This record gives sequence, C-alpha cells and structure tokens, in this order.
Amino acid sequence: MNKHLLNIPFVLFFIMLLIFFYLLVIDRNPARIQSALLDNKVPEFEVDSLLNDEKFFSSKEFGEQIVIVNFFATWCKPCEAEHIFIKKFSDKNKLKIVGINYKDNPKKTIKWLKKLGNPYSNIALDKKGKVAIDWGVYGIPETFVVNSTGIIKYRHVGPITKNIYKKITEVIRKTN
Amino acid sequence: MNKILIIIINIFLTFFILNSSYAVEPDEILKDTKLELRARNISKNIRCMVCQNQSIDDSSAPLAKDLRVLIRDKIKEGKKDKEIYKFLTDRYGDFILLKPKIKMNTVALWFLPFIFFLLGIFIVLNHNKKSNKS
Repeated sequence: MNKHLLNIPFVLFFIMLLIFFYLLVIDRNPARIQSALLDNKVPEFEVDSLLNDEKFFSSKEFGEQIVIVNFFATWCKPCEAEHIFIKKFSDKNKLKIVGINYKDNPKKTIKWLKKLGNPYSNIALDKKGKVAIDWGVYGIPETFVVNSTGIIKYRHVGPITKNIYKKITEVIRKTN
Repeated sequence: MNKILIIIINIFLTFFILNSSYAVEPDEILKDTKLELRARNISKNIRCMVCQNQSIDDSSAPLAKDLRVLIRDKIKEGKKDKEIYKFLTDRYGDFILLKPKIKMNTVALWFLPFIFFLLGIFIVLNHNKKSNKS
C-alpha cells in the first residue's frame, strides 16, 4: 500500500507532462481569444456614417441578410493587405459588407477607399474606439460574420489571408 | 554626513516610486479620490487584451487607455463594480479578468494546488509512520 502511495506523485507528474506536450503539439494559438459575443446579437450602436449624411444605426444594418463586419483603419497596414479579400466578398460572393472605421481620419479614409476601391455598403465612424470595445475588438483588422437574424457567428482577428477567406466562405455557406 | 544620507534616501525613494509607477495618465484621473481608487482597483484586475500579461492599470497600449477611461466613465455614471465587470466580461469573456471567477471550468485551477498539497502531506506522513514502525 505504502509503495503504491509513493507512486502517485510520479503518475500525476507524468499526466501533467502528457497534457503539457499535448497542448504544445496541437494546432492552437493561445494568444487568440475566442469572442464572447459568438452566438449573441450584434451590439446596438449609433454613430456618424462616413458614406451618408444620416447617422449609422446598427439596428438598420443587421437582421435581413448575412453581413460581414470589418474593423479597419487607413493607418493599419494589414488592413490594406486584406482589402483585396474584403472586395472579393463584395464582388464575387455578393455579400453585404459593413465597415467600422476605427480611430481614423475620415478624409484619409475616403482617399484610401478611392485608391483601393470601396466594398462597404456603409461605414460607421468609430472615432473613440467605443464601438470596437462593444464588439470585444482588441486588435484591428478584425472581421465578423453576422447571420440574417443579426447573430454573430464567426470572428477572425488579424488580416484575412487566402486560407481565412476560404474558411469564412465556408462559414457563410453553413450560416443559415 | 547627514546631507549624504538624505540624498541616498531620496534616490531610494525615487527609485521605488518610479518602480511602482502605473500607466494612468493625468487627464484620466478622477477628481474624487474615492472614485479614482475604485477605478484603480478594477483596472488592476482587468487584463490588457493587447499585452495579455499586464493589467490595464500597467499597460500603455491604446486599448488599455480606452478601457481605463470607460471604467471611469461607468463609475461616474454610478455603475457598481459588479456591473462594470459584467460589461467587460460580456464583451471580452472571463479571459479579461486577471483573477478568474470560481466556475465549473476553473474549479481545478483554484483547488488542485490544495488537493496536491494535502495529498503530499498525507503521503509523507504515511511514509514516515511506516518507516518508524519498521
């Protein structure tokens, strides 16, 4: 009995080692945080719009069709890199794209969109970053997929790459 | 001699004050010290989502500043600490708390060290008892 008891710490240590190596080997990024808003309704907000004289009302933008929400800024280089895929969602996939312009200069944004093309149906101006906090955003670019009932189904942190584009297309295909 | 001692004490005090400095900027500080203390206490338990190993009280990341300002705004609005924590966890999940809540998925995190400690004591005592007997 005594001998068996002395083995317990070694067995526990071995189990902990196994867990450690398992977490090390599996494909995961501990810095990537799961969104707390997944499967929840989109946050409600009302801010100025970059493209219209009217205010941007979130209640008017969501709930009728699948919408891709993209947090971007002209000062963010990865945003420029992913823009080609955002355009693809609009041109090829014919999806509604809503942009949230994060802490940016509206004049610069208009210039930027003229240069790179505008895939957004509407752009909300998040001058102080409050909308981003409401969406649980912690680093732009971030992209969300919202279903036709206004529920957030997917969130991607970082620029959209070819693989992420495919992944999001798949998510959209499965979303209602 | 006394002057040298005062200089040395001053250097030490400056060093310790600088060492315990935080990222809160003067324009963020609330005039009411009681409210400011509440904001500081909450900020110390909120993780900077950009740096991840720092609290927003220590971090100079822009998002940390935004969250510090937001916490102070909520306090000024009369929100309770519990409501502010809920607002933040609703958006960023429990990961934003540096001290995780005791929940089903964190029970092991909170209690396993005590269980291991007790198990260790039990094994050592049991082993000693048997050794003494023999």
